[in-house]
Amino acid sequence: MSRTLKRTGQTLALVAVAGLLALLVWRLTHQTHSPKIGGPAPNFTLDRIDTSGRLDLASLRGKPVVLNFWASWCVPCKGEAKLLEHAWKQYRSQGVVFLGIDYNDVTSDARTFLSHHGITYPTVQDGSGAIGDKYGLTGVPETFFIDRDGRLVGSHIVGTITNQVTAFDRGIRAALRQ
Amino acid sequence: MILRFFAVTAAALALAGPAAACAHPKTSLSFLEGQIMCPTCHTTLDMSEAPAAQRIKAQITRRIAQCWTARQIEDELVANFGQGILAAPPHKGFDLLAWWLPIAGVLSGALLLAAGVWRWSRAREPEIDAGASPLLDEETDRRIDELLAGMD
Repeated sequence: MSRTLKRTGQTLALVAVAGLLALLVWRLTHQTHSPKIGGPAPNFTLDRIDTSGRLDLASLRGKPVVLNFWASWCVPCKGEAKLLEHAWKQYRSQGVVFLGIDYNDVTSDARTFLSHHGITYPTVQDGSGAIGDKYGLTGVPETFFIDRDGRLVGSHIVGTITNQVTAFDRGIRAALRQ
Repeated sequence: MILRFFAVTAAALALAGPAAACAHPKTSLSFLEGQIMCPTCHTTLDMSEAPAAQRIKAQITRRIAQCWTARQIEDELVANFGQGILAAPPHKGFDLLAWWLPIAGVLSGALLLAAGVWRWSRAREPEIDAGASPLLDEETDRRIDELLAGMD
């Protein structure tokens, strides 16, 4: 009896340790790392909030993309909204696509934000923040530049572009280069 | 004058609308604040003053004023933010494990502990053998009795 009990206890302890180890390994192997400049931009398919339907980043392959993460609750995002819209109108003739990603936001608030700031470029919603995690987002706003081959180029801008206009232009030029 | 009257009446009706729409709210912000997570700070809404949390609280308040139930509000937030917005995992599918595993763990632990205690208590019980010889032989027993009698 006591021998069986001992064996059962040992087996349970072993199973528990193995389970914890498996969890640790899983966590380590599924950790998100910030994408590297020059590496592929993490792909996504998200619901659009400026109109109906979904948008797949891969469908924009062949075009330079400016990817801007924002949220309606983010004060600096309000400051750069007009500047982004202006830049979009300036660069779209060169084939540059601006794509807004509304991050961790209430959909109705996001739509109000878009109409209030007169944003006309496509915008998708990352409600759960999963895509932001894939990009290693530290907050909003953040802006990434993707070249025609779907690779991240330039250095991404953390914070508003308002006081980083030179870096913003450099990023767009890097995405256009080829 | 008539135009002004109509304008004031319309404004009053518009303001009174939401309140009149739900005389008996089906849930409360204070209840839902403990059930919903702030997506940027990963605490429940009642623990957070983050801008994202404030927006969600405002959304919940609007829905309560429209007489939505807690379930309806939670469903809308899940559709917007994903399952991670809920503080507790749902009682279905794989998420059931999150509810049952701790209970199973505690029960297994209690069973093991009980079995261990039972075994330990049995090992410490003196074994009484009916056929074994007494601790003192008759002569020694008699002498002790004599000594004790002498001390009286």
